[in-house]
Amino acid sequence: MTTASMPYRPGVRALLVLVGCEAKMVVRDTAGLVVPLGLPLLILLTSAGSASNQVVANGRTALEVFVLPLVVTMVVAMIGIINMPSFLAYYRRSGILRRLAVTPVSPALVLAAQAIVSVVQTIVGITVAAGVALLAFGARPPADVAVALGMVALTMAAMYAIGMLVAAVAPTPNSAVAIGLVAFFLLGALGGMFGGRDALPDPLAELGGWLPFGAAVEAISSASTGSAIDAAHLLGLGATVLVGTLVAGLLFRWE
Amino acid sequence: MTSSEPAILAEHLTKSYRHVQAVAEVSLRVESGETMGILGTNGAGKTTTVEMIAGLRVPDRGRVRVLGLDPRRDRARLRQVLGVQLQDAYLHHALRVSELVELYRSFYPGPRPADELLDMVDLTAQRRTIFEKLSGGQKQRLSIALALVGRPRVAILDELTTGLDPTARRRMWSTIEQLKSEDVTVLLVSHAMEEVERLCDRVAVLDAGRVVAVDTPAGLRTRAGTDTLDDAFVTLTGKDLEEAA
Repeated sequence: MTTASMPYRPGVRALLVLVGCEAKMVVRDTAGLVVPLGLPLLILLTSAGSASNQVVANGRTALEVFVLPLVVTMVVAMIGIINMPSFLAYYRRSGILRRLAVTPVSPALVLAAQAIVSVVQTIVGITVAAGVALLAFGARPPADVAVALGMVALTMAAMYAIGMLVAAVAPTPNSAVAIGLVAFFLLGALGGMFGGRDALPDPLAELGGWLPFGAAVEAISSASTGSAIDAAHLLGLGATVLVGTLVAGLLFRWE
Repeated sequence: MTSSEPAILAEHLTKSYRHVQAVAEVSLRVESGETMGILGTNGAGKTTTVEMIAGLRVPDRGRVRVLGLDPRRDRARLRQVLGVQLQDAYLHHALRVSELVELYRSFYPGPRPADELLDMVDLTAQRRTIFEKLSGGQKQRLSIALALVGRPRVAILDELTTGLDPTARRRMWSTIEQLKSEDVTVLLVSHAMEEVERLCDRVAVLDAGRVVAVDTPAGLRTRAGTDTLDDAFVTLTGKDLEEAA
Protein backbone atom coordinates (compact mmCIF):
# COMPACT_ATOMS: atom_id res chain seq x y z
CA MET A 1 0.00 0.00 0.00
CA THR A 2 1.27 3.46 -0.81
CA THR A 3 0.08 6.89 0.10
CA ALA A 4 -0.05 9.79 -2.32
CA SER A 5 3.43 11.31 -2.45
CA MET A 6 2.29 14.76 -3.60
CA PRO A 7 -0.55 16.37 -1.68
CA TYR A 8 -3.56 17.37 -3.76
CA ARG A 9 -4.43 21.04 -3.36
CA PRO A 10 -7.91 22.08 -4.44
CA GLY A 11 -7.33 24.92 -6.87
CA VAL A 12 -9.21 27.33 -9.10
CA ARG A 13 -12.18 25.01 -9.70
CA ALA A 14 -12.74 24.54 -5.95
CA LEU A 15 -12.37 28.29 -5.40
CA LEU A 16 -14.94 29.02 -8.13
CA VAL A 17 -17.41 26.50 -6.71
CA LEU A 18 -16.83 27.94 -3.21
CA VAL A 19 -17.40 31.49 -4.49
CA GLY A 20 -20.60 30.33 -6.23
CA CYS A 21 -21.83 28.71 -3.01
CA GLU A 22 -20.91 31.72 -0.88
CA ALA A 23 -22.72 33.99 -3.34
CA LYS A 24 -25.83 31.78 -3.16
CA MET A 25 -25.68 31.91 0.65
CA VAL A 26 -25.56 35.72 0.51
CA VAL A 27 -28.31 36.07 -2.10
CA ARG A 28 -30.60 33.67 -0.19
CA ASP A 29 -30.06 35.74 2.97
CA THR A 30 -31.99 38.66 1.47
CA ALA A 31 -32.30 40.50 4.80
CA GLY A 32 -28.52 40.64 4.98
CA LEU A 33 -28.39 42.39 1.60
CA VAL A 34 -31.13 44.96 2.17
CA VAL A 35 -29.25 46.97 4.79
CA PRO A 36 -25.82 47.39 3.17
CA LEU A 37 -27.26 48.04 -0.29
CA GLY A 38 -30.60 49.65 0.59
CA LEU A 39 -29.76 52.00 3.46
CA PRO A 40 -26.96 53.93 1.71
CA LEU A 41 -29.20 54.23 -1.35
CA LEU A 42 -31.99 55.63 0.82
CA ILE A 43 -29.62 58.23 2.30
CA LEU A 44 -28.48 59.12 -1.21
CA LEU A 45 -32.05 59.53 -2.46
CA THR A 46 -33.11 61.68 0.50
CA SER A 47 -30.04 63.96 0.32
CA ALA A 48 -29.26 64.11 -3.38
CA GLY A 49 -32.08 66.48 -4.40
CA SER A 50 -30.78 69.52 -2.51
CA ALA A 51 -27.10 68.49 -2.48
CA SER A 52 -26.89 68.25 -6.26
CA ASN A 53 -27.59 71.99 -6.65
CA GLN A 54 -25.19 73.25 -4.00
CA VAL A 55 -21.67 73.99 -5.28
CA VAL A 56 -19.11 73.70 -2.46
CA ALA A 57 -15.57 73.29 -3.85
CA ASN A 58 -13.74 73.38 -7.20
CA GLY A 59 -17.11 73.66 -8.99
CA ARG A 60 -18.18 70.41 -7.38
CA THR A 61 -21.56 69.93 -5.73
CA ALA A 62 -22.26 68.79 -2.17
CA LEU A 63 -23.57 65.55 -3.67
CA GLU A 64 -20.15 64.81 -5.22
CA VAL A 65 -18.03 66.13 -2.33
CA PHE A 66 -19.98 65.03 0.74
CA VAL A 67 -22.90 62.70 0.02
CA LEU A 68 -21.37 60.24 -2.46
CA PRO A 69 -18.11 59.70 -0.47
CA LEU A 70 -20.25 59.13 2.65
CA VAL A 71 -22.57 56.67 0.87
CA VAL A 72 -19.65 54.75 -0.66
CA THR A 73 -17.92 54.53 2.72
CA MET A 74 -21.17 53.32 4.33
CA VAL A 75 -21.57 50.51 1.77
CA VAL A 76 -17.98 49.34 2.28
CA ALA A 77 -18.15 49.62 6.07
CA MET A 78 -21.48 47.81 6.43
CA ILE A 79 -20.37 44.86 4.33
CA GLY A 80 -16.86 44.75 5.82
CA ILE A 81 -17.65 45.39 9.48
CA ILE A 82 -21.14 43.85 9.88
CA ASN A 83 -21.93 41.33 7.12
CA MET A 84 -18.61 39.57 6.57
CA PRO A 85 -17.80 38.87 10.25
CA SER A 86 -21.33 37.65 10.95
CA PHE A 87 -20.95 35.04 8.19
CA LEU A 88 -17.56 33.95 9.50
CA ALA A 89 -18.83 33.78 13.07
CA TYR A 90 -21.78 31.69 11.88
CA TYR A 91 -19.44 29.32 10.01
CA ARG A 92 -17.33 28.91 13.10
CA ARG A 93 -20.24 28.54 15.51
CA SER A 94 -22.10 26.04 13.33
CA GLY A 95 -18.99 23.90 12.81
CA ILE A 96 -18.83 24.43 9.03
CA LEU A 97 -15.16 25.42 9.27
CA ARG A 98 -14.52 22.33 11.38
CA ARG A 99 -16.21 20.12 8.77
CA LEU A 100 -14.16 21.74 6.02
CA ALA A 101 -11.01 21.15 8.08
CA VAL A 102 -11.27 17.40 7.39
CA THR A 103 -11.35 17.92 3.62
CA PRO A 104 -8.36 18.80 1.41
CA VAL A 105 -9.60 22.39 1.12
CA SER A 106 -7.61 24.91 3.12
CA PRO A 107 -9.36 27.37 5.43
CA ALA A 108 -7.54 30.12 3.51
CA LEU A 109 -9.52 29.16 0.39
CA VAL A 110 -12.77 29.56 2.35
CA LEU A 111 -11.64 33.00 3.53
CA ALA A 112 -10.63 33.94 -0.01
CA ALA A 113 -14.09 32.95 -1.30
CA GLN A 114 -15.70 35.04 1.46
CA ALA A 115 -13.53 38.01 0.59
CA ILE A 116 -14.28 37.73 -3.15
CA VAL A 117 -18.03 37.59 -2.54
CA SER A 118 -17.81 40.56 -0.15
CA VAL A 119 -15.85 42.57 -2.71
CA VAL A 120 -18.44 41.79 -5.39
CA GLN A 121 -21.24 42.85 -3.00
CA THR A 122 -19.38 46.09 -2.32
CA ILE A 123 -18.82 46.78 -6.00
CA VAL A 124 -22.52 46.18 -6.70
CA GLY A 125 -23.50 48.52 -3.84
CA ILE A 126 -21.12 51.28 -4.99
CA THR A 127 -22.14 50.87 -8.64
CA VAL A 128 -25.84 51.18 -7.76
CA ALA A 129 -25.26 54.26 -5.60
CA ALA A 130 -22.91 55.94 -8.09
CA GLY A 131 -25.19 55.00 -11.00
CA VAL A 132 -28.22 56.60 -9.35
CA ALA A 133 -26.19 59.73 -8.46
CA LEU A 134 -24.83 60.05 -12.00
CA LEU A 135 -27.97 59.21 -13.95
CA ALA A 136 -30.72 60.64 -11.75
CA PHE A 137 -29.02 63.60 -10.08
CA GLY A 138 -26.41 64.68 -12.62
CA ALA A 139 -23.37 63.94 -10.46
CA ARG A 140 -20.04 63.83 -12.33
CA PRO A 141 -17.33 61.18 -11.96
CA PRO A 142 -14.48 62.01 -9.53
CA ALA A 143 -11.89 64.48 -10.84
CA ASP A 144 -9.25 61.83 -10.38
CA VAL A 145 -10.91 58.47 -11.02
CA ALA A 146 -7.77 56.38 -10.45
CA VAL A 147 -7.05 58.00 -7.06
CA ALA A 148 -10.72 57.66 -6.10
CA LEU A 149 -10.66 53.92 -6.95
CA GLY A 150 -7.41 53.56 -5.00
CA MET A 151 -9.00 55.23 -1.97
CA VAL A 152 -12.06 52.94 -2.22
CA ALA A 153 -9.73 49.92 -2.37
CA LEU A 154 -7.81 51.17 0.69
CA THR A 155 -11.12 51.76 2.49
CA MET A 156 -12.20 48.21 1.69
CA ALA A 157 -8.94 46.84 3.08
CA ALA A 158 -9.36 48.90 6.26
CA MET A 159 -13.01 47.94 6.80
CA TYR A 160 -12.31 44.24 6.15
CA ALA A 161 -9.42 44.38 8.61
CA ILE A 162 -11.86 45.68 11.24
CA GLY A 163 -14.34 42.99 10.16
CA MET A 164 -11.72 40.26 10.61
CA LEU A 165 -11.03 41.67 14.05
CA VAL A 166 -14.75 41.52 14.89
CA ALA A 167 -14.91 37.93 13.58
CA ALA A 168 -11.89 37.03 15.69
CA VAL A 169 -13.29 38.27 19.00
CA ALA A 170 -17.03 37.53 18.53
CA PRO A 171 -18.03 34.27 20.22
CA THR A 172 -21.38 33.93 18.38
CA PRO A 173 -22.99 35.15 15.14
CA ASN A 174 -25.34 37.42 17.13
CA SER A 175 -22.46 38.95 19.04
CA ALA A 176 -20.62 39.48 15.73
CA VAL A 177 -23.59 41.50 14.45
CA ALA A 178 -23.80 43.40 17.76
CA ILE A 179 -20.08 44.20 17.91
CA GLY A 180 -20.08 45.04 14.20
CA LEU A 181 -23.05 47.41 14.58
CA VAL A 182 -21.49 49.18 17.58
CA ALA A 183 -18.18 49.54 15.73
CA PHE A 184 -19.95 50.75 12.58
CA PHE A 185 -22.05 53.40 14.35
CA LEU A 186 -19.19 54.52 16.59
CA LEU A 187 -16.78 54.95 13.67
CA GLY A 188 -19.59 56.39 11.55
CA ALA A 189 -20.62 58.95 14.19
CA LEU A 190 -17.03 60.10 14.64
CA GLY A 191 -16.54 60.09 10.88
CA GLY A 192 -19.42 62.45 10.09
CA MET A 193 -22.18 59.99 9.24
CA PHE A 194 -24.71 62.02 11.25
CA GLY A 195 -24.35 65.53 9.90
CA GLY A 196 -20.63 65.97 9.30
CA ARG A 197 -17.61 66.06 11.61
CA ASP A 198 -17.89 69.87 11.90
CA ALA A 199 -20.83 69.37 14.23
CA LEU A 200 -18.68 67.35 16.68
CA PRO A 201 -16.58 68.83 19.51
CA ASP A 202 -13.07 69.62 18.21
CA PRO A 203 -11.20 66.72 19.86
CA LEU A 204 -13.77 64.19 18.57
CA ALA A 205 -13.77 65.74 15.10
CA GLU A 206 -9.96 65.50 15.03
CA LEU A 207 -10.05 61.88 16.23
CA GLY A 208 -12.74 61.03 13.68
CA GLY A 209 -10.48 62.24 10.86
CA TRP A 210 -7.84 59.69 11.87
CA LEU A 211 -10.25 56.80 12.33
CA PRO A 212 -11.05 54.74 9.22
CA PHE A 213 -14.63 55.94 8.52
CA GLY A 214 -13.83 59.64 8.67
CA ALA A 215 -10.48 59.13 6.92
CA ALA A 216 -12.20 57.21 4.11
CA VAL A 217 -14.90 59.88 3.58
CA GLU A 218 -12.27 62.64 3.49
CA ALA A 219 -9.90 60.72 1.18
CA ILE A 220 -12.65 59.81 -1.33
CA SER A 221 -13.97 63.36 -1.13
CA SER A 222 -10.52 64.77 -1.92
CA ALA A 223 -10.24 62.42 -4.91
CA SER A 224 -13.65 63.69 -6.10
CA THR A 225 -12.50 67.30 -6.13
CA GLY A 226 -9.03 66.49 -7.43
CA SER A 227 -7.34 67.76 -4.24
CA ALA A 228 -4.29 66.10 -2.70
CA ILE A 229 -5.11 63.35 -0.19
CA ASP A 230 -4.26 64.42 3.37
CA ALA A 231 -1.43 62.29 4.77
CA ALA A 232 -3.34 61.91 8.06
CA HIS A 233 -6.21 60.16 6.26
CA LEU A 234 -3.86 57.83 4.39
CA LEU A 235 -2.05 57.09 7.62
CA GLY A 236 -5.31 56.40 9.46
CA LEU A 237 -6.51 53.95 6.81
CA GLY A 238 -3.09 52.29 6.42
CA ALA A 239 -2.67 51.88 10.19
CA THR A 240 -6.13 50.32 10.43
CA VAL A 241 -5.23 47.76 7.75
CA LEU A 242 -1.95 46.93 9.49
CA VAL A 243 -3.17 46.79 13.10
CA GLY A 244 -6.51 45.13 12.26
CA THR A 245 -4.90 42.39 10.17
CA LEU A 246 -2.14 41.71 12.69
CA VAL A 247 -4.41 41.57 15.73
CA ALA A 248 -7.07 39.54 13.88
CA GLY A 249 -4.35 37.12 12.77
CA LEU A 250 -3.24 36.69 16.38
CA LEU A 251 -6.75 36.26 17.79
CA PHE A 252 -8.49 34.39 14.96
CA ARG A 253 -9.59 30.81 15.58
CA TRP A 254 -11.33 28.32 13.33
CA GLU A 255 -13.32 26.61 16.12
CA MET B 1 3.67 3.08 4.43
CA THR B 2 4.78 -0.50 3.96
CA SER B 3 2.38 -3.39 3.38
CA SER B 4 2.92 -4.64 6.97
CA GLU B 5 1.96 -1.31 8.52
CA PRO B 6 -1.60 -0.95 9.79
CA ALA B 7 -3.96 1.54 8.16
CA ILE B 8 -4.50 3.26 11.53
CA LEU B 9 -2.02 3.17 14.38
CA ALA B 10 -2.72 5.04 17.60
CA GLU B 11 -0.26 4.68 20.44
CA HIS B 12 -0.81 5.84 24.03
CA LEU B 13 -3.19 8.65 23.07
CA THR B 14 -3.94 10.87 26.04
CA LYS B 15 -6.09 13.99 26.13
CA SER B 16 -7.45 16.18 28.91
CA TYR B 17 -9.86 19.11 28.78
CA ARG B 18 -8.87 21.45 31.60
CA HIS B 19 -8.73 19.02 34.52
CA VAL B 20 -10.93 16.30 33.02
CA GLN B 21 -9.13 13.32 31.53
CA ALA B 22 -11.06 12.47 28.34
CA VAL B 23 -8.72 9.82 26.93
CA ALA B 24 -5.92 7.96 28.70
CA GLU B 25 -3.28 5.79 27.04
CA VAL B 26 -5.55 4.63 24.21
CA SER B 27 -3.76 2.41 21.71
CA LEU B 28 -5.45 1.00 18.58
CA ARG B 29 -4.22 -0.85 15.54
CA VAL B 30 -6.58 -1.14 12.56
CA GLU B 31 -5.40 -3.23 9.66
CA SER B 32 -5.92 -2.23 6.05
CA GLY B 33 -9.42 -3.14 4.86
CA GLU B 34 -10.59 -3.86 8.39
CA THR B 35 -13.75 -2.38 9.95
CA MET B 36 -13.07 -1.53 13.58
CA GLY B 37 -15.91 -0.54 15.88
CA ILE B 38 -15.55 1.71 18.89
CA LEU B 39 -18.10 1.12 21.62
CA GLY B 40 -18.54 3.14 24.77
CA THR B 41 -20.99 5.08 26.85
CA ASN B 42 -21.34 8.86 26.50
CA GLY B 43 -18.17 10.48 27.81
CA ALA B 44 -16.11 7.31 27.32
CA GLY B 45 -13.74 9.19 25.00
CA LYS B 46 -14.88 7.75 21.65
CA THR B 47 -15.28 11.02 19.78
CA THR B 48 -12.11 12.54 21.25
CA THR B 49 -10.19 9.43 20.17
CA VAL B 50 -11.43 9.50 16.57
CA GLU B 51 -10.99 13.27 16.36
CA MET B 52 -7.34 12.86 17.39
CA ILE B 53 -6.95 10.17 14.74
CA ALA B 54 -8.57 12.49 12.15
CA GLY B 55 -6.24 15.34 13.16
CA LEU B 56 -9.01 17.56 14.50
CA ARG B 57 -7.57 17.46 18.02
CA VAL B 58 -3.98 17.40 19.15
CA PRO B 59 -3.21 14.69 21.72
CA ASP B 60 -1.48 15.80 24.91
CA ARG B 61 0.60 12.67 24.56
CA GLY B 62 0.85 9.75 22.17
CA ARG B 63 1.27 9.21 18.47
CA VAL B 64 -1.09 8.68 15.51
CA ARG B 65 -0.36 7.40 12.02
CA VAL B 66 -3.02 6.94 9.34
CA LEU B 67 -1.71 5.17 6.23
CA GLY B 68 1.73 6.01 7.61
CA LEU B 69 0.91 9.74 7.72
CA ASP B 70 0.92 12.08 10.69
CA PRO B 71 -2.56 13.73 10.75
CA ARG B 72 -1.15 17.13 11.71
CA ARG B 73 2.19 17.23 9.87
CA ASP B 74 0.93 15.49 6.71
CA ARG B 75 -2.51 17.12 6.81
CA ALA B 76 -2.79 17.84 3.09
CA ARG B 77 -1.78 14.35 1.96
CA LEU B 78 -3.98 12.63 4.52
CA ARG B 79 -7.09 14.68 3.73
CA GLN B 80 -7.27 13.34 0.18
CA VAL B 81 -7.43 9.70 1.32
CA LEU B 82 -9.43 10.16 4.53
CA GLY B 83 -13.22 10.52 4.72
CA VAL B 84 -14.71 11.79 7.97
CA GLN B 85 -18.30 11.95 9.12
CA LEU B 86 -18.57 14.05 12.26
CA GLN B 87 -21.16 13.44 14.94
CA ASP B 88 -23.28 16.38 13.77
CA ALA B 89 -23.84 17.45 10.18
CA TYR B 90 -22.06 20.81 9.95
CA LEU B 91 -23.00 22.11 6.51
CA HIS B 92 -23.99 25.37 4.82
CA HIS B 93 -27.64 25.71 5.85
CA ALA B 94 -28.86 27.64 2.79
CA LEU B 95 -27.39 25.41 0.07
CA ARG B 96 -29.27 22.71 -1.80
CA VAL B 97 -28.28 19.06 -1.48
CA SER B 98 -26.91 18.99 -5.04
CA GLU B 99 -24.92 22.20 -4.41
CA LEU B 100 -23.33 20.76 -1.28
CA VAL B 101 -22.42 17.58 -3.15
CA GLU B 102 -20.83 19.60 -5.97
CA LEU B 103 -19.01 21.78 -3.43
CA TYR B 104 -17.44 18.79 -1.68
CA ARG B 105 -16.75 17.03 -5.00
CA SER B 106 -14.67 20.06 -6.04
CA PHE B 107 -12.29 19.44 -3.11
CA TYR B 108 -11.09 16.01 -4.30
CA PRO B 109 -9.32 14.56 -7.32
CA GLY B 110 -11.50 11.93 -9.02
CA PRO B 111 -14.55 12.20 -6.75
CA ARG B 112 -17.53 9.82 -6.89
CA PRO B 113 -20.24 10.97 -9.36
CA ALA B 114 -22.95 13.04 -7.69
CA ASP B 115 -25.73 10.69 -8.90
CA GLU B 116 -23.95 7.65 -7.43
CA LEU B 117 -23.51 9.41 -4.09
CA LEU B 118 -27.11 10.57 -3.84
CA ASP B 119 -28.36 7.12 -4.80
CA MET B 120 -26.06 5.54 -2.21
CA VAL B 121 -27.76 7.48 0.60
CA ASP B 122 -31.21 7.59 -1.02
CA LEU B 123 -31.35 11.37 -1.41
CA THR B 124 -31.90 11.58 -5.18
CA ALA B 125 -35.43 12.91 -4.68
CA GLN B 126 -34.13 15.59 -2.30
CA ARG B 127 -31.36 16.88 -4.56
CA ARG B 128 -32.98 20.34 -4.89
CA THR B 129 -33.94 20.60 -1.22
CA ILE B 130 -32.24 23.25 0.92
CA PHE B 131 -30.11 21.63 3.64
CA GLU B 132 -31.98 23.21 6.56
CA LYS B 133 -35.27 21.83 5.20
CA LEU B 134 -34.01 18.22 5.39
CA SER B 135 -35.08 15.96 8.23
CA GLY B 136 -32.48 14.94 10.83
CA GLY B 137 -32.04 11.54 9.19
CA GLN B 138 -31.65 13.08 5.73
CA LYS B 139 -29.00 15.48 7.05
CA GLN B 140 -27.18 12.53 8.58
CA ARG B 141 -27.31 10.60 5.29
CA LEU B 142 -25.98 13.60 3.37
CA SER B 143 -23.16 13.94 5.88
CA ILE B 144 -22.25 10.28 5.26
CA ALA B 145 -22.32 10.80 1.49
CA LEU B 146 -19.97 13.76 1.80
CA ALA B 147 -17.57 11.68 3.90
CA LEU B 148 -17.34 9.23 1.00
CA VAL B 149 -17.27 11.74 -1.86
CA GLY B 150 -13.46 11.58 -2.31
CA ARG B 151 -13.28 7.75 -2.53
CA PRO B 152 -11.42 7.55 0.82
CA ARG B 153 -9.11 4.68 1.69
CA VAL B 154 -9.86 5.25 5.37
CA ALA B 155 -13.31 6.31 6.59
CA ILE B 156 -14.00 7.54 10.11
CA LEU B 157 -17.72 7.46 10.84
CA ASP B 158 -18.89 8.90 14.16
CA GLU B 159 -22.40 7.76 15.13
CA LEU B 160 -23.12 6.43 11.65
CA THR B 161 -26.78 5.56 12.02
CA THR B 162 -27.86 7.48 15.13
CA GLY B 163 -31.20 9.12 14.31
CA LEU B 164 -31.86 7.07 11.19
CA ASP B 165 -35.02 5.02 10.70
CA PRO B 166 -34.64 1.22 10.33
CA THR B 167 -34.80 1.34 6.52
CA ALA B 168 -32.17 4.07 6.24
CA ARG B 169 -30.05 2.27 8.83
CA ARG B 170 -30.01 -0.92 6.78
CA ARG B 171 -29.20 1.03 3.67
CA MET B 172 -26.21 2.59 5.44
CA TRP B 173 -25.09 -0.85 6.54
CA SER B 174 -25.14 -1.93 2.89
CA THR B 175 -23.04 1.12 2.04
CA ILE B 176 -20.45 0.14 4.67
CA GLU B 177 -20.44 -3.42 3.34
CA GLN B 178 -19.79 -2.00 -0.11
CA LEU B 179 -16.86 0.00 1.32
CA LYS B 180 -15.51 -3.21 2.87
CA SER B 181 -15.68 -4.92 -0.52
CA GLU B 182 -13.64 -1.99 -1.91
CA ASP B 183 -11.00 -2.65 0.79
CA VAL B 184 -11.68 0.65 2.57
CA THR B 185 -10.57 0.74 6.20
CA VAL B 186 -13.45 1.88 8.42
CA LEU B 187 -13.36 3.20 11.99
CA LEU B 188 -16.95 3.14 13.19
CA VAL B 189 -18.15 4.78 16.39
CA SER B 190 -21.49 3.33 17.38
CA HIS B 191 -24.00 2.74 20.11
CA ALA B 192 -25.89 0.07 18.17
CA MET B 193 -24.88 -3.50 19.04
CA GLU B 194 -26.66 -5.01 16.03
CA GLU B 195 -24.72 -2.65 13.76
CA VAL B 196 -21.40 -3.48 15.40
CA GLU B 197 -22.11 -7.23 15.25
CA ARG B 198 -22.97 -7.05 11.58
CA LEU B 199 -20.31 -4.67 10.28
CA CYS B 200 -17.24 -4.79 12.50
CA ASP B 201 -14.38 -7.26 12.21
CA ARG B 202 -13.14 -6.16 15.63
CA VAL B 203 -14.42 -3.89 18.38
CA ALA B 204 -12.59 -1.67 20.87
CA VAL B 205 -14.54 -1.11 24.08
CA LEU B 206 -13.80 2.22 25.77
CA ASP B 207 -14.67 3.06 29.33
CA ALA B 208 -13.73 6.28 31.15
CA GLY B 209 -11.22 7.16 28.43
CA ARG B 210 -9.43 3.81 28.43
CA VAL B 211 -9.55 0.76 26.18
CA VAL B 212 -10.85 -2.11 28.29
CA ALA B 213 -11.01 -4.72 25.52
CA VAL B 214 -10.29 -5.19 21.82
CA ASP B 215 -11.55 -8.31 20.11
CA THR B 216 -13.95 -9.67 17.50
CA PRO B 217 -17.62 -9.42 18.50
CA ALA B 218 -17.61 -13.20 19.09
CA GLY B 219 -14.35 -12.93 21.03
CA LEU B 220 -15.83 -10.25 23.31
CA ARG B 221 -18.84 -12.47 24.04
CA THR B 222 -16.58 -15.41 24.83
CA ARG B 223 -14.27 -13.31 26.96
CA ALA B 224 -17.22 -11.97 28.99
CA GLY B 225 -18.97 -15.35 29.05
CA THR B 226 -22.21 -13.90 27.68
CA ASP B 227 -24.58 -14.71 24.83
CA THR B 228 -24.96 -11.19 23.47
CA LEU B 229 -22.61 -8.32 22.76
CA ASP B 230 -24.87 -6.10 24.84
CA ASP B 231 -24.32 -8.31 27.89
CA ALA B 232 -20.62 -8.55 27.10
CA PHE B 233 -20.41 -4.73 27.15
CA VAL B 234 -22.15 -4.59 30.55
CA THR B 235 -19.84 -7.24 31.94
CA LEU B 236 -16.69 -5.55 30.63
CA THR B 237 -17.58 -1.99 31.67
CA GLY B 238 -20.17 -2.43 34.41
CA LYS B 239 -22.39 -0.04 32.44
CA ASP B 240 -25.49 -0.46 30.31
CA LEU B 241 -24.83 1.02 26.88
CA GLU B 242 -28.51 1.62 26.04
CA GLU B 243 -29.17 3.51 29.28
CA ALA B 244 -25.95 5.48 29.17
CA ALA B 245 -26.20 6.44 25.49
